[in-house]
Amino acid sequence: MIKLTGITKSFGRNQVLKGIDLHVNKGEVVVILGPSGSGKTTLLRCINYLERPSDGQIVIGDSIVDCKRAGKQDILQLRRKSAMVFQQYNLFKHKTALENVMEGLVIVQKRPKEEARERSVQVLEKVGLGSKLDAYPSELSGGQQQRVGIARALALEPEVILFDEPTSALDPELVGEVLEVIRKIAKEGITMIVVTHEMGFARDVSNHVVFMDGGVIVEEGTPQEIFSSPKEERTKQFLKRITPEWSYTI
Amino acid sequence: MKLDVSFLLDVFPLLLSALPTTLLITAVSVSVGFVIGVVIASIRIYRVPYLYPIAVSYVTFIRGTPMLTHLFLIYFGLPLLVDGLASFAGLSFRAASIPLIWFAFISFSIMAGAYMSEVVRSGLLAVNRGQTEAAYAIGMNTWQALRRIVFPQAFATSLPILSNSVIGMLHGSTLAFTVSVVDINAKAQIVATTNWKFFEAYIAAAIIFWGLTIAIERITGHIEKRINRYNRGGVA
Ligand SMILES: Nc1ncnc2c1ncn2[C@@H]1O[C@H](COP(=O)(O)OP(=O)(O)OP(=O)(O)O)[C@@H](O)[C@H]1O
Ligand SMILES: [Mg+2]
Repeated sequence: MIKLTGITKSFGRNQVLKGIDLHVNKGEVVVILGPSGSGKTTLLRCINYLERPSDGQIVIGDSIVDCKRAGKQDILQLRRKSAMVFQQYNLFKHKTALENVMEGLVIVQKRPKEEARERSVQVLEKVGLGSKLDAYPSELSGGQQQRVGIARALALEPEVILFDEPTSALDPELVGEVLEVIRKIAKEGITMIVVTHEMGFARDVSNHVVFMDGGVIVEEGTPQEIFSSPKEERTKQFLKRITPEWSYTI
Repeated sequence: MKLDVSFLLDVFPLLLSALPTTLLITAVSVSVGFVIGVVIASIRIYRVPYLYPIAVSYVTFIRGTPMLTHLFLIYFGLPLLVDGLASFAGLSFRAASIPLIWFAFISFSIMAGAYMSEVVRSGLLAVNRGQTEAAYAIGMNTWQALRRIVFPQAFATSLPILSNSVIGMLHGSTLAFTVSVVDINAKAQIVATTNWKFFEAYIAAAIIFWGLTIAIERITGHIEKRINRYNRGGVA
């Protein structure tokens, strides 16, 4: 379970998050939507402290962190209970696909090498890369790299996986294979928070949709509620802008 | 004047007897310098309070003064310091008992540290921020992220320039003769004083240095190829 309470974040004088409350149950897939600059990335990065929130409280599982008083150990705890899939993949470029996945298991979780290897191979097979274990990131396509990124997160068995626009750096023809993998692991009951502009995906896969604008949550609800009967004017406008006409006619 | 080829050939084994000294000075100053360089570069990049200005002054001072001057500063300054400290602490140790080669080790290491810190720093800066973030995101602490992710990539990027530093130190080690350490070059001079065939002796020295330089280039080229295996693909 993840619970955010009153998260705020300012960069200098620019307050980017203005008090975010969010509750995510175990096994839930939450999609965050919102226009560019609304603070979606910043919110995700605050959850694992890649950005230090100015104020608020973060709870992941049994770790409770008060942002004003967070120490090194608190931050490490949050990071070890979460994992992140980046827009730019950020695979360790001097390590093979297998080594990328093993790294966290061996170095952070201190698991024996053999066990870590077995688990990593298993996860890479799950994302369809069983034949690319020894490939370096530079030898993989964007879609393959992102699937390694997902495997790296998944292998750690975190309480939550954070996805920041996992497909928006990909060529259109590679988006499908990555979404397919995310769909598959969503079905296995992994808790996920996903920032995405893929509306079809958001509609099919999520249990809960959050619409952000200007650093606040404007509206949230089931995909049905948000996509079919949004209440707030800003949500309606956003959906109208982002959803191509033809998708209504299908 | 005629070149005495047979003397030239005879001189090689004599000069090679000083090879260990040359290699030792180079190896010590490069290794100690590398460690200093990594520490200084990290202090500067992470802007460690209090140490940061010291690191910056160190680098600008060393890079702003000649290598020979450092050697003399250490040669004349260190004994004063050591003797002062020893008598203050009531020890009978005197600087006169420090082997001369140590002055070369110390001053060249300090110098190599300053130059190499710049090389290491540019290597560290070349590592993409996303690499560190990914390391933190999987739960690594700062030290783990540096050791496992940042340093290896920085090292791979810096290797060609580091190889230049090693070559620079090899050639620079000849200055040690000014504090009476007999390296290959000094040996050439000593050997030649008996018959005044300086030219032959220095040709031999030059050939040895040239060979060593080529060897260094080969070795680092080989290491480079091995650790840069990950860069060979086409897509970024
Ligand atoms: N490191 C930073 N320093 C200063 N300002 C920042 C920083 N990171 C983000 N911002 C600002 O915070 C605001 C929110 O940015 P954020 O990246 O969270 O938006 P987003 O919702 O993810 O947008 P997009 O859909 O374009 O990815 C923007 O105005 C941005 O300029
Ligand atoms: Mg973003």
